[in-house]
Amino acid sequence: MRIFYKSIGICLLIFLIATGCKEDVYVYEVNDVEISPINSTKNKPKTESQYISVLYTNLFQEAIGPNRMLEALAAIQSIGDKRVAFDILVSKYMADGRVVLPTEEEMRANPEAFVRDTYRRFLIRQPTEAELQWMLNYIESRPNLTPELVYFSFATSNEHFHY
Amino acid sequence: MKRREFIKKAGLATAATAGFPYILPSGIISAQTTAPLTDHVVFVLFAGGVRQQEAVLKRYLADSQDEDVEGNIMYNMLTGDSPESKIAYGLDDAANNIVGGIPIDPLLQTPLDQQGTLFPEVRFSKGGAGHYNGLSTGISGSYALAQGLRSRPAAPTIFEYLRRHAGFDATDCWYVGADIGMSRPLLNYSDDPAYGRKYGANFLAPLTTFGTPGMNHFMDFKNYHPETEWTMIQEMRHFLNSNYVEEGLEIPHLYNRSEEQDFIKEFVRSTFEKVELGQVSLPPVNDNRDLKTLGFALEVLSWFKPKITVIDLTNIDVCHASYTNYLKSLHRADHGVGFLWREIQRIPGMADNTTMIVMPEHGRDQDPNPIQDINDWYAYDHSVGNENTRRIFTLMVGPGAEAGLQVGSPDQPVGDATDVVPTIAELFGIKQIVESQGRLDGSSRSLFDRM
Repeated sequence: MRIFYKSIGICLLIFLIATGCKEDVYVYEVNDVEISPINSTKNKPKTESQYISVLYTNLFQEAIGPNRMLEALAAIQSIGDKRVAFDILVSKYMADGRVVLPTEEEMRANPEAFVRDTYRRFLIRQPTEAELQWMLNYIESRPNLTPELVYFSFATSNEHFHY
Repeated sequence: MKRREFIKKAGLATAATAGFPYILPSGIISAQTTAPLTDHVVFVLFAGGVRQQEAVLKRYLADSQDEDVEGNIMYNMLTGDSPESKIAYGLDDAANNIVGGIPIDPLLQTPLDQQGTLFPEVRFSKGGAGHYNGLSTGISGSYALAQGLRSRPAAPTIFEYLRRHAGFDATDCWYVGADIGMSRPLLNYSDDPAYGRKYGANFLAPLTTFGTPGMNHFMDFKNYHPETEWTMIQEMRHFLNSNYVEEGLEIPHLYNRSEEQDFIKEFVRSTFEKVELGQVSLPPVNDNRDLKTLGFALEVLSWFKPKITVIDLTNIDVCHASYTNYLKSLHRADHGVGFLWREIQRIPGMADNTTMIVMPEHGRDQDPNPIQDINDWYAYDHSVGNENTRRIFTLMVGPGAEAGLQVGSPDQPVGDATDVVPTIAELFGIKQIVESQGRLDGSSRSLFDRM
């Protein structure tokens, strides 16, 4: 009987040693997340009248009148290649002294504010850090660059045509 | 050349080329390509719904107003004496107070039917005789049986075939529209997923581009220095676009190369200058929109020397409300086509190597509507189901078309409204490729195969 209790005791001891001091193992994981570009939700093309309306407001800081809108729309529809048509339209508007543009001095005095404001104005978002740096470098390295040319590029970019 | 001799020669030429693939000027080679018969094609969709009776049948008032006056009022295109009385289709005779009383002088010494081949009795065989259906059918070779307005053709247009299979550039292909109505701006490419915008033609509605809308929104557009300012715009735009990576989400352009885009802009600028100086090459008589459209179309031809140009005219459709104005418009459309052909022969690079095809997009009703005009003549509509609306003609002149040949007659119709697409394809050496795509209507055949 004594041997029996001794055996039980040894088994219990072995069991406690085997299980009692086991360290908990934790596995830390996160769910897979697909990283999309900041502008990836803009996947719907504007209608030509939406584009003209937004463009006009961005450049002139006022809404386009209904008659002027219909005229601009007809002009755009009369040329098949819309990239060409938009280029001509924006070039025409840029020749209008009423376009509201920052001065070159303002752009060069605070290029980051200029870039951020331009992204907000045309693309309704902040630039990514990479975009910001590229634009800042571009402004710095191009002494002949003007706010008008930057605005032209943004106004005729593919992203500006989508929402 | 006699018809039999012509067919024999054409057959020999076909046989000679059938077995030997031809390298198209674009560098494309295929077992299905043949030698092009021409360098340029101008296709005029003429011109808003024409009754055979007043066109190739030369019946003037005899088959419409119960007046015994016959005669040909399209004497640049067709052979035949003009009416001798009740002249109402010309210029207004102010001295004698006669509307349309002075016929416009012919521009061509030899009518086009003598210079080329006339199919006088062709059929618009399917679908309703609507303008969009007619235009769409003419350029796609497929009837638009189930389509309404505000949609692109379902089947590829001739532009798409030529750009994809013959390697034409975008500026080789132009659709010059009478205006921006009737979904014309949608006719430069189809919805066919295998073709579409990538192979579309440039579109221009010149009376809008160079009219009030364009004057207020395009004219005097800023000219950026190409090597400094424009380069920076392109560099920044490239950066912005490369950060906007959604496939296919772009401003809907026509794949004009950068230099082609610049060429189009320079054309627009140059033409505005001509408009200001009154130097646009308009026909001698240019008192309606069709004639002005033809003048601007000529500017397109002179500037780009396109390989394929489609021009649509529309003024004849005044026939819904005024028969007298219909006659005037028909006479003027003939004047315009005569002018176009004459002037093409004066364009270096297009003279003597341009083929022109003229075809109404559909006909008009046999019976009039109740509307009477200043001469008490009745007007005509183009109604769905009216057999007279299915009667049209096709005229082809220039390289590939035999002079003086007439194929078919009122009793023996030959040809279909869908024939022009395979005909143009044959003129450019890609007929077999186009036919093998299976998009053409079953009744469509090259006119060369119908001779």
